Amino acid sequence: MGTSAATGTEQMFAKLLAPLCAASGAVVLSGFFFPEFVGTVVTGETWLAVALVFFTSGMGYLAVLPYSPDPEEPSGEPALLGIRRTGVVGTLRNFATKHDPVVFALPVGVFALFFCVQAVAPAATNEAVNGVSGAVLQNTGPVFLGAVSLAVCYCLFLLLGPWGDVKLGGPDTEPSYTYPTYFTLVFTAGIAAGIVFWGPAESLFHYGSPPPYFDAPARSEAAVGPALTYALFHWGLSAWSAYAVIGVPVAYFVFKRGAPLRVSTILAPFLGVSGLDSVWTRLVDTLAVFATIGGIATSVALVSEQFLAGIGFQWGVSAGDLGPVLFVGGLTLIFVLSTVTGVHRGIRRIAGLNVVLFGLFALLVVAVGPRSFVLDRGASALGSYAVNFAPLSLFVGGEWVANWTVWNWSWWFSWAPFAGLFTAALSRGRRIRTVVFTSVVATSAATIVWFLLLGGTSLWVQTTGAADILAAVAARGGSEAVAGFPLLAALPLSQLLMFLFLALIVVFMTTSADTSTLVVSMLATRRSVAPTRGTIVSWGVFQGAVAVSVLVLGGGETLQALAVLTGGPFAVLSLVAIAGLSLTLYRRERDQGHTSVVRQAVDRLPTVHTHHDIDPPEKE
Amino acid sequence: MVDAPDGQAEQAYEEVFYPADRIPFVDWEEFSGAQPAVVLTGVTTLLAFVTGLSNLSAPVVSLNGPLAPYVPATTVVARLAGVTFAFLLAPVTVGLQRRKRLAWRVAMVLLPALAVLPLTTLATTDIPLLLAVGVTVPLLVRNREAFDQSLDLSPLQIASLLSVAGVVAYGTVGAYGLQEHFTAIADWVDALYFVIITIATVGYGDITPTTQIGEFFSLSIVILGTGAFTAAVGALVVPAIESRMAAAFGNMTPSELRLLENHVVVLGYGDLTESLLDSLADETDVVVVTPDEDTAADLDAESVNVLTGDPTDEEILERAQVDSASGVVVASGDDATDVLAVIAARNVNPDMRIVAGASEAKHVDKLASVGADQVINPHTIGGRLLGESVLDESASSSVVAALETSED
Repeated sequence: MGTSAATGTEQMFAKLLAPLCAASGAVVLSGFFFPEFVGTVVTGETWLAVALVFFTSGMGYLAVLPYSPDPEEPSGEPALLGIRRTGVVGTLRNFATKHDPVVFALPVGVFALFFCVQAVAPAATNEAVNGVSGAVLQNTGPVFLGAVSLAVCYCLFLLLGPWGDVKLGGPDTEPSYTYPTYFTLVFTAGIAAGIVFWGPAESLFHYGSPPPYFDAPARSEAAVGPALTYALFHWGLSAWSAYAVIGVPVAYFVFKRGAPLRVSTILAPFLGVSGLDSVWTRLVDTLAVFATIGGIATSVALVSEQFLAGIGFQWGVSAGDLGPVLFVGGLTLIFVLSTVTGVHRGIRRIAGLNVVLFGLFALLVVAVGPRSFVLDRGASALGSYAVNFAPLSLFVGGEWVANWTVWNWSWWFSWAPFAGLFTAALSRGRRIRTVVFTSVVATSAATIVWFLLLGGTSLWVQTTGAADILAAVAARGGSEAVAGFPLLAALPLSQLLMFLFLALIVVFMTTSADTSTLVVSMLATRRSVAPTRGTIVSWGVFQGAVAVSVLVLGGGETLQALAVLTGGPFAVLSLVAIAGLSLTLYRRERDQGHTSVVRQAVDRLPTVHTHHDIDPPEKE
Repeated sequence: MVDAPDGQAEQAYEEVFYPADRIPFVDWEEFSGAQPAVVLTGVTTLLAFVTGLSNLSAPVVSLNGPLAPYVPATTVVARLAGVTFAFLLAPVTVGLQRRKRLAWRVAMVLLPALAVLPLTTLATTDIPLLLAVGVTVPLLVRNREAFDQSLDLSPLQIASLLSVAGVVAYGTVGAYGLQEHFTAIADWVDALYFVIITIATVGYGDITPTTQIGEFFSLSIVILGTGAFTAAVGALVVPAIESRMAAAFGNMTPSELRLLENHVVVLGYGDLTESLLDSLADETDVVVVTPDEDTAADLDAESVNVLTGDPTDEEILERAQVDSASGVVVASGDDATDVLAVIAARNVNPDMRIVAGASEAKHVDKLASVGADQVINPHTIGGRLLGESVLDESASSSVVAALETSED
């Protein structure tokens, strides 16, 4: 782990994946360029399979390519070095000594228990979990709204105030990641395929049943603005702030106070850095592992179902019962490969591919979409977002808000431990201001542009009657997965856009799942020790297994509801983290000469000479 | 699963996140140089070809692009442009690979013109081509400095190209002007078509002269045109074949040789030459002159510059650009040849540094007296090293170590 050179297994993968990618790519390209000849020979299912094989093998190949920052230095070490010399017992003992037993065993046990209960009594489990989650979301809504609002305010303060000046690490520490890499990794880790599905869907849903805050008639012209505004609100600054309030405290205590890189480090101001080995920290880390696996595995399962549902809707291709399982299997293979090859290889390269595809897709939609409509409505929605931000953040509006806003906040908080921890790990050598700017402002800007573009386009398609997306969604039982397809079908270049759309779903899911696997492996390994390949592979396979179980036994929504519930504790923990960080920063950094942005701006202003023409007499 | 040995497994998490000093998003240097630009041009050419075939094979060609109203004969352009441009771009790519200035200029005209195709059709299949052009053109502009080689056409090639152009111009203008003397020339396209068909000696016969003036005019095109066409083919193709043949024997072409400057010329191929080439290869350009064709072919396969010829012949040394070389090494293993080679090299360039390797100690003075600045006898040096080595381990091993490290 962490070595740049390709080991024997990786070289084997590279040799396997390159021809696979080339062959499937040739088939895909020939089908793309000569649909008349090839299209009649190959069936829809085969197309789907070949395209997926092409895409995943390409990503896998990208991941296993060797990395040598210095081109002079040859990469590739003798593969013999990597061969394990111990037997099965030794392997297990090795595995056990490197792991934190509580953090490792408890989540595994909880998931096993869940699936047992689910298999025995699915209906009762569903009812119980849904009852609990419904009650929690209904009744603790103000807690979530308060925590998110506080997180936004705190991020704003860190961004503009003097504490933003604090550098994470010693005075000579240089950031290890260039800014584009940093942004790309933070952005792609923190957001999964949801952005692709919900981009066209969320605004439409709000257009179909408008939020009570704005009180506009459903499907009316007046509902367009509020629909866009609420989509921005749910995916904008508030959401990303939840990651920052976990990430910044962890980064501060790790790089300034020498604490271990774990989620439980947010408790450092209360337990002390040396006291970070208690029951409480284990509880927090276990909860983080549980939330992360629950969040990612259910996402993987739901995304693969939605992916195939969308395909089925658009092209009438049925994947059968085995389809989703195979899909999850392929996805698992790729994200495990990506994690094993490391942050600087697989994770970075696939994240780069992700951002490039994301930008390309957005550019194509701009080129063929309704630019003036999107610009016009987007600008007014952005204005409305700014004006109504404070009231929206605090609006407790009954069931609608519980189902949308509170559910959303809880989901973001349940992702916060892993996204925050990953952000913290990458932030060494950067100032707190840069971290907050990147993980809140820059990432929100990207999602806001995306939601304005896709949401605006789908609203345009819906309102002009070019396609009735809402009817298509309703016909599929209200699944957001199908919204993208009628939308793209109504635009020029629809085939190309759909191909990119499907690619984006796969790649966004991979970039989150590989990061989460890395974070979970780190949390389950003993402090300050890098997770071994074996650990990473077993956690990746475990996530895949949970996803497959969800698909086979059902209960994906139930497990997701359960995972979302873990957002509750982290909402509370975020308040603890904010308090702890503020306390520490107040004690330690008060007299360090940090300046706020306001002070820096004032200092840059030209000084106005108010004194007299003659110099004042020098002091004795 | 393969795992690292225990000692290695106990890494701190820092190793996971900070394996290098700095992790860039993309290694821009690697993707923005002249070579990637050439590769991208090649990819664009290939895409143009495939897209063109795709458009040819499509039952209906779409014309939805923003430029469709402005392009004349849209259907023809949409059907044929891809393949035509691909065939035009293929030689341009080859020229770019040789860093020719002219190829760069033509590419800067052809590639934007090629972008008209996808902007006319806006078919899904044409979008990759548009993207490829959009990436290639800025990259070519960025690397414009790299493409600085002139085309190096011989006067004969220039003359034959000009005469082909002249005959085509004369024929087209003339046929158009004399259209009432022909059966079926109605416009400029017909006139051009007639001339090309005639020059290429295809002569379909669908356009024929009907008067005596027309017949004389046709005859003049046949005689001048076929002559110019044949001469042009000969002038352009034969040198290319010649250079292929020469390469097979391990010979550099005159244009390749002319580019050399401040290089080292190695006269003769002997026992010392291999290690000599190893030590010189990283430092400077090297040309080996050897009379043996097998050796030359072997060296050429190792991509060492070779000139097949007699190293004692002044004319060969002039072709090896000895007058602009920074130095000459004479080490063929035969001291008699070496003496002649030193004299020849000194004749070509009186001021240059000449180093010679003598096989026998008694020839050292002779080589020095005919003009070598430094003469080294490898056997003497080797013997001395052996002697020092047996007496004092540290002394000789330090010399050997110094030699070995300096080799790297």
